[in-house]
Amino acid sequence: MESLLAGCIGFLTACGVFLLLRGRTFPVVVGLTMLAYAVNLFLFSSGRLTLQGAAVLGTTETYADPLPQALVLTAIVIGFAMTAYLVILAIRARADLGNDHVDGKLPENESSRKESR
Amino acid sequence: MLLISAFATVVFHRQRVVALLMISVVGLMVSIAFTRFSAPDLALTQLSVEVVTIILLMLALFFLPHKTPKQSSPTRVIRDIGLASMVGVVIGSISYAIMTRPFNTISDYFLANAKTGGGGTNVVNVILVDFRGFDTFGEIAVLGIASLGIFKLLTRIPVFKPSSDGEGRPWALERHPVLLATVSQSLLPLALMVSVFIFFRGHNLPGGGFIAGLVTAVALILQYIAHGVEWVKSRMNIEYQRVVAVGLMVALITGVASWLFNKPFLTSWFDYFDIPLLGKIELASAIAFDAGVYITVVGSTLLILASLGKMTTSHRPVHTETI
Repeated sequence: MESLLAGCIGFLTACGVFLLLRGRTFPVVVGLTMLAYAVNLFLFSSGRLTLQGAAVLGTTETYADPLPQALVLTAIVIGFAMTAYLVILAIRARADLGNDHVDGKLPENESSRKESR
Repeated sequence: MLLISAFATVVFHRQRVVALLMISVVGLMVSIAFTRFSAPDLALTQLSVEVVTIILLMLALFFLPHKTPKQSSPTRVIRDIGLASMVGVVIGSISYAIMTRPFNTISDYFLANAKTGGGGTNVVNVILVDFRGFDTFGEIAVLGIASLGIFKLLTRIPVFKPSSDGEGRPWALERHPVLLATVSQSLLPLALMVSVFIFFRGHNLPGGGFIAGLVTAVALILQYIAHGVEWVKSRMNIEYQRVVAVGLMVALITGVASWLFNKPFLTSWFDYFDIPLLGKIELASAIAFDAGVYITVVGSTLLILASLGKMTTSHRPVHTETI
């Protein structure tokens, strides 16, 4: 169980990093969202995995660690705010600069290709 | 399933709509994982945030191109894959190493004191609104600032108006589906009731201000989707900036009110637990703080999505020529 979750976290991180390295803004946003999932799961897993032990007093004998859960809960909402801000920045950049490349301008070979078309 | 959908997101990242669908599957899987590992609060939050995020990205796609042109050279792709998998392996092994080590948690304190000190049995929620209330206050402040920043960024935007999608098909003019409009209208009171229920059970059972706020926001956004911005605006003329400010003020006043009892900021509620009659009052102050959280979450989520959605409809150019 631990190894499966660890594998999932690793894979999500890898996918997120790969998408972050793309040149357009939208894949970068999606990649950041995915990294946020990975980070949330990672923080959550640092409280160790517990089955059938929701941290509600009086329901079970062993409880899951509530502290990482509380921290991750706020992290999820903050992650949403950050994604939203990034998306708006991307839209604004598209509107101001006319393209959606992360550098703000298309790379040399591509823009020349476009002109020759 | 998680792995497959994450992988599919990467594969399809050039087809942006498909990638969006895939990442929503990833989010749902994460939420199921939270349920499995006994974190119902997290699962609920993840689920509702997921809905809002997907709507947000959908709206964003209106302004961004639908397809990413192929531009990286094969060597670059291979380099990136190598880099990404290296990072992934490192993170995966770190997390495996952490999970298999024995550990000493500080949470026993929270578990022991949640009922007596915070007056609630849902320890996660008690930590949020009580033990670490100052954290949560800072966090809703961040949420409010982000939404105000977005509002500001969008007000003076030189509007880039796509009148057709990537393949040159014009966007349909405002024709809202009758079925969705009818159903969503009767769904709204139900959804609001559910969110109030979630809000009040939050202290003792999974739920709370964040989740209730997100549910309310989703219900209201459904009205926007079903009826359009103008329709909602004519019926509910509220400036969401004010809502955010009111939410923050409610939380702040709850915190400051504890000074009246000569207690430090945001601590009044867990100091009176030995007096049974005042027990109710102290619980109420935690709920007031949670209400501040609730109002802020509703306000900023709606501010973000409504100001983005407004741009897609009211400034939409009329596409007259026939294709």
